[in-house]
This record gives sequence, structure tokens and C-alpha cells, in this order.
Amino acid sequence: MSSSSAHRPPRETDFDRIPGSTPIVIDNGASTFRIGWAGEKEPRVAFRNIVQRPRHRSSAGETVTVVGDTDPGLMKFFDCTRTSIRSPFDDDVVYQFEYMEYILDYAFDRLGATSEVGHPILMTECECNPSFSRARMSELLFETYGVPSVAFGIDDAFSYKYNQKLGNCGEDGLAISCEFGTCHVVPFLKGQPVLGACCRTNVGGSHITDFLRQLLSLKYPYHAASITWEKAEELKKEHCYIAPDYMSELQIFKNNKEEAEKKTRYWQLPWVPPPVDEPPSEEELARKAAQKERAGQRLRDFAATKRSQKIQLLEKELSDLEELMEQLDEAEEPEATSILASAGYLSRQEIKSAILKKIQSIRKAKGESNGNEEKADVSEADKYPLVSVPDETLTPEQLKEKKKQILLKTTTEGRLRAKQRRAEEEALREKQEEERRTENPELYFEELRARYSDLSEKIDQRKRQKVNGNNNSSGAVGRGERLNAAQKERMRLLTTAAFDRGKGEDTFGMRDEDWLVYKKMSKDTDQDDDENDYDESELARITSKLQEVDPTFVNKHEAAEPTPDPHKVRPLTAEDFRIAIGIERFRCPEVLFQPGMIGVDQAGIDEMVSISLRRLMEDESVKERLCQSILVTGGTSLFPGMIPRLESGIRQFRPYLARLKLIKAADPILDAWRGAAAFAASSKFGTQTFTLEDYREHGENLFHRYNIVYTL
Amino acid sequence: MESEIQRTEMLLAPTLAFKKVQTADKYPKGQSRGRQWKHLRHLLQAADGSSLPPDRPNYLNIQSPPSIYPPKRYCDITGFEAPYADPRTKLRYSDPEVFKQIRMLPDEYVQRYLALRNAAVVLR
Repeated sequence: MSSSSAHRPPRETDFDRIPGSTPIVIDNGASTFRIGWAGEKEPRVAFRNIVQRPRHRSSAGETVTVVGDTDPGLMKFFDCTRTSIRSPFDDDVVYQFEYMEYILDYAFDRLGATSEVGHPILMTECECNPSFSRARMSELLFETYGVPSVAFGIDDAFSYKYNQKLGNCGEDGLAISCEFGTCHVVPFLKGQPVLGACCRTNVGGSHITDFLRQLLSLKYPYHAASITWEKAEELKKEHCYIAPDYMSELQIFKNNKEEAEKKTRYWQLPWVPPPVDEPPSEEELARKAAQKERAGQRLRDFAATKRSQKIQLLEKELSDLEELMEQLDEAEEPEATSILASAGYLSRQEIKSAILKKIQSIRKAKGESNGNEEKADVSEADKYPLVSVPDETLTPEQLKEKKKQILLKTTTEGRLRAKQRRAEEEALREKQEEERRTENPELYFEELRARYSDLSEKIDQRKRQKVNGNNNSSGAVGRGERLNAAQKERMRLLTTAAFDRGKGEDTFGMRDEDWLVYKKMSKDTDQDDDENDYDESELARITSKLQEVDPTFVNKHEAAEPTPDPHKVRPLTAEDFRIAIGIERFRCPEVLFQPGMIGVDQAGIDEMVSISLRRLMEDESVKERLCQSILVTGGTSLFPGMIPRLESGIRQFRPYLARLKLIKAADPILDAWRGAAAFAASSKFGTQTFTLEDYREHGENLFHRYNIVYTL
Repeated sequence: MESEIQRTEMLLAPTLAFKKVQTADKYPKGQSRGRQWKHLRHLLQAADGSSLPPDRPNYLNIQSPPSIYPPKRYCDITGFEAPYADPRTKLRYSDPEVFKQIRMLPDEYVQRYLALRNAAVVLR
């Protein structure tokens, strides 16, 4: 009736026909507000006790007030970004009287009030409501609504009295009330609540809903937006139950998967499967292939024309050069120099080399192979033309040039020699290995394997060090843990160097090794990269060898990384949009019995009974009588399994074989209002109210001792 | 105003004839009034509980005391009994599988799990 639907109560029409002496009865519950007339069976109007103050979008951001639950579809007209759902309650006490005023406005408006409220009011409150809250509330009722008189009464007491009238419970008894923000246990003696012996634990239905919502949104972070408070409330009402024995229920879920599955409920989020992509047809594939082929052909043609153009150009240049050479050959000395100058060349030699270059590039363009040997032979002479010329015939510049050429020649030759030597060594080693292999294949094989594992281990380790100094501890935070080992060492060196000053005698530099520290400090410490390269090439060699000799050998590096494409997304199914509510079904309501689960250091509702009985300071016989009339009420007591669990819980605090009787209230939600309506209908109700004059005379002190008499 | 809104009468009228003082007069526009409502805890402190007679019941002294049973420890993730606690995240866990999961959790989630039992680190 309360929050499940966005039902908007219609306006009552008979307000003016009700006699002015008939009290208005309000059950001001932290979750639901109910208002109606004394003596009636049902409240006229009930709505969720909340206020929203969003801005209306189309009328220049005017702030509007919305009380109670609303149709989410209509909230699109409002800008709710700067507001949230507000309640006038903190735990079970009204503290926010601006919101309370909006709620009362709405309540009296729905009840049909037109020109004035004008009726006495009976309003429910929590046990031992603080005086300031009562004072502010009566101030509001008197000054803003002009009500003639007011009475406050405890909702649980009205509920108990109502059930007593129905014959469900006795004159002496206990009420266990599980409400929205709190739980209460109140003892009754001779039909009157003993407030000195009642007790309150600050855990209620809202905590269960919050707990459920948090647990589900932590379990399904992707669906957190769908798991609203309202939805959690709905799921709680639909699926939650109280475990008969919490520990054994946990064991079922831990060890008996089958039964746990049976007890798990699912909530399917709305989900539409995405359209499945049809695999392309044969035709399509053929068409695509043809298209690709055509595009390739076009590119090839283009490249061919370009190449032939280039060849033509080169050939033309070559013939020009050859012509120039011929001219030079024919010409006399002075004429030749002028020809050279006009062509932009310094000597015949230069022209020759240019011709050679051209020939080579033509060959290359034509795609002909030009053997390296030949090229080397050809170029040898004109690369270092001065080397073989005697010194005496050369000018000083040419001498310099010769020196340079000699140097170049020797270095290239040296390099070649080294290469040759390495190849020889390699061959020798290969030969030796081959010999060893033929000598003792078993041993050789073993050695190869050992060396392989050694090397791969080494390389792996180095990689790990580079990637992360300690990647075995995940979730690490803090700067130190983000550096790798090498970087860490560098930081350490830098800091020690920075703070090393003035520590006795400075002996830095006495030993040569001291200077190595700078090498380590420099940012690019790649000193082990060469070694790394060597290791890697060696590993590759051994791997290929092993693959040769051992058909069963698997390369660890290849095998270890089957590299599943990280971007490949598993197609989502309806299951991914399904929220399982398993252990949460009884884990959340368990907070009523073990408030410690949500960090509230107070006794649970079963233990509260024993606390209340202890506070009562009565004989055991009285306690025994009370325990035979325990009423369980309040909206949060509606969970299945509540009564048996409470009974076994309370039994633990009672003497062996003590009699115990628990009664479920006739209607745990509405009984409080009905009891209050019956109380207000009594002819003696007037004796329990107070007026504005009383309040003006005594002020807040009026409420220090204010307690109504429930049995009229 | 949109017609649906008017039809469902979802908005509270700014002035109501049965009221002696209208909301707009009590809470004039443009004045910040969000701060004036103190939380219950502060109100109770301000009401000075020591002035109340200690032998009479009041809102504070009817509260339940802590349970006489030692608190049971439950796994923060699975809800099962938790014999272990992770010294780094302070989360309780039931078995090694959950421990692995805990160590993979981002810090925000760790704090949210801790907040469930009011044990999160609160930065002020």
C-alpha cells in the first residue's frame, strides 16, 4: 500500500460534513504517513513520508514541492539534480519541520480541508520522543494550522491496545515492534506501557533496504544504476526472509550448492538481445574478393607506369652524361674545363662515378639483380681512389683526403674481418656441438634443455623487473610501489647522495668503483641491454636446435601466451542482466538480530526482550505473565520466519521450559492507526489533549512529563 | 504547467487556504535555510540530557545496550563466517578464494565494503 506504486491519493470531499469535534488521527510513521478520522476503520489517505523539491523545467526553474511517491514518468518535467528525496525523520524522531510542514500541507489538503483545519489532532510519535520535537510539532500544528487541541501517543502502544481489544494479547504483555528506522520492545502492565523499561535499537527496515542495495550494487557494479532504493525495497519485501537458524542457513549456502540454488531468486533486468550479424554470403565474399583484386591490379599498374617513367628518365640522363664524356674526350684541355664547368662537374672522375650510379639505379629500377661482389669490386676502386696513388703526386688537400680514405678503408676492412672471424667461430662451435652430439646424444640433449630453461628464466626475470618491481602484490598503492626495481634503486642512490653531505670525512673517489655510482644514477641505465640481446639471440638459437632434435619440445614463450585477443568481447546474454539474490535474502534481515553486522553496537530484537524484562524490575511471576503475551508488530516484522526465529531467540534468555507465546499483530502496518482512531473516538479523549493556551503557559516543560493514559 | 502534472495534482499548491501562515512567509525565497536543521544527534546534545532526571525514561536512556554476546565475524564479501581478516584492507574473509578477490578489489570498493559495517576510514 505504501511505496510499491506511485499511487496518488485523490482528494477527499466530505471534510466540511464532519463535525468539528471529531479528531483527526495521524499515524506519522517514518516510512508512511496515514491520516483519517477518529472512529473509522481505515485511514483516508496514506502516502510515503517523503518530500522532493525539484525545479520545474519549463517555468524558469521555479522550485516546486512534491510530497509522497511519484510516477517516475512524470519526473522528466523536473530538474532533480540539485535535490534528493528528503524525509523529516532522523531515526524515528521528526527533526526537519520544514519538510514536516509540506507533508502536513499535503495531508490536510488530501483530507479535503478548505478554509481551516479546525479539528483536534491525535498524532503518533516514537517512545520517549524528545521534548524539542514535540514542542516544534505542536507549535507547527497550533500556529500554522490553527488546530484547537493536540494529543501525542506512542504508535506501538496503540497497536498493542488495538490487538488487546481484538483479544490477541492480554492486559500485561510485551510489544516487539520492528519499524522503519528503529526497533522497540515495550512492556505493558495493566494496559499501560512501562516506558522506563522499554528499549530501542537503532536498526530497522530502512537499514535492511540500504544493506541489500549496497550488497547488490557491490556485487553487480555494472547494474548499480538500476538498483535504486525503491527497487531494493521492493526486492526486500518480495524475497527476504528470516533464517530459522542463521549459522545453519549459512552452511547450506556454503556447502549445499543444489539447495542454495533452489533458494536463490533472480531479478531479470530488461534486456533486448542485440541483432545477430548474418555471416556474409558466398556471393558477397566473391564480390569483395573481386573488388580487392581490382584495387590491387590498379595499384600494380600504377606502380609499373611510374617505374617505366623513372627508367626512361634515368636512361635519358645517362645518355646525356655519356655524350658529355664523348665531348670531353674529343675536346682539348682548355675547352674541356669550360665544358666541365658549364655541366657543373669538377673532373672526369666525377662524371664517371655519376654514370656508374645512374647505371646502378637503372638496374635497380628494372629489378635486375646486381650482385654484391660486383658492386663492391666496382666501388672499391672509386670509393678510395687516392689510396693507391703515391703521396708525391698529390696536393695537400688531396693528401688530407687520402688520409681520410685510408682510415675509412681500414675500418671497413676490419669490420669485415671481424664478421668473418665471428662466422668462423660460429661454425667451429657448431662443429664442436655436432661432435658432442654424436658422441653422447643424451648428455648433449640434457645440457641443451638445462641451458634453455636457464636462459628463459633469466630473460623472464629481467622482463618482470622491467615491467614492475613487485607485481605479485596487486592493488598496491603509494608511489614506491609503482616504480620498478631498477628505478627504485636509482631513487635510493639519489636520495643517499643528496643526504650524504657532512658525514665525517669525504672519501668519495678514493676507489675507482666510486664513480660507477654516476652510471647507475643516469636515467638511461641500459648497461645490461647488450647482455640481454645476447641472451635472447642465444635463446632463439637453442630453441631452434631443440625444435630440431626434440619433436615434443614446446617453446615456452610461445606456449605461455596463447594471446586471446583482449578486445574480443564475449557477447552479452540475458544472464548478464540477471541479478541473483541468494544469501542476501536472509543476510539482510539478519541485521535485526545482529545489528553488529552493519556496525551498530546494540542488542538485537531477541535480546532486547531480556533487556526490557530486566529493566522492568518485577518478580519472575510478572515476567512469566508478560512472556505469554508478546505481540509482534511493525512493517518490518512481516518477513516470513520472523515469529519462530524470535521465539527461539527469546527462549535462550528465559528459564528452562518457561512458557512463551508470541502473537503476530492482526495487521502489523495499520494497527497503530486503527488503535489511535479507536482511542480518539473515546468520549474521554478530550482529557488527554492540550491546547495552545496550555502550551503558551508551560512551554517546552509541558512535554517533559507529558504521557497520555491509554486505557480510557 | 504540463497537463499531466495538473491532472495528477502532484504538486503542492504554494498557498493553502486552511493555513494561518503560508510557507512563503515563513521561509522567504532566496534565504538559505538548508543549514538550520541540525541533525538529531546535535539536537539531543543541545537539549542537554543531564538536566533531565536520570530516573525518568528519555530518548537517550531507553537505547539498548551492546549485546552480551561476542560479536560474530562475517565475511564482508560472501557473508559466510569469517575466520580471517586481511591486515592490509581490514576486510574479513571466509576462504582463500575470497582473499584473492579482496586483493583485486579497487580501494573504493574496499572502503564501500567497510562502510557497510561502519568501519571505513573517514577522512575529515
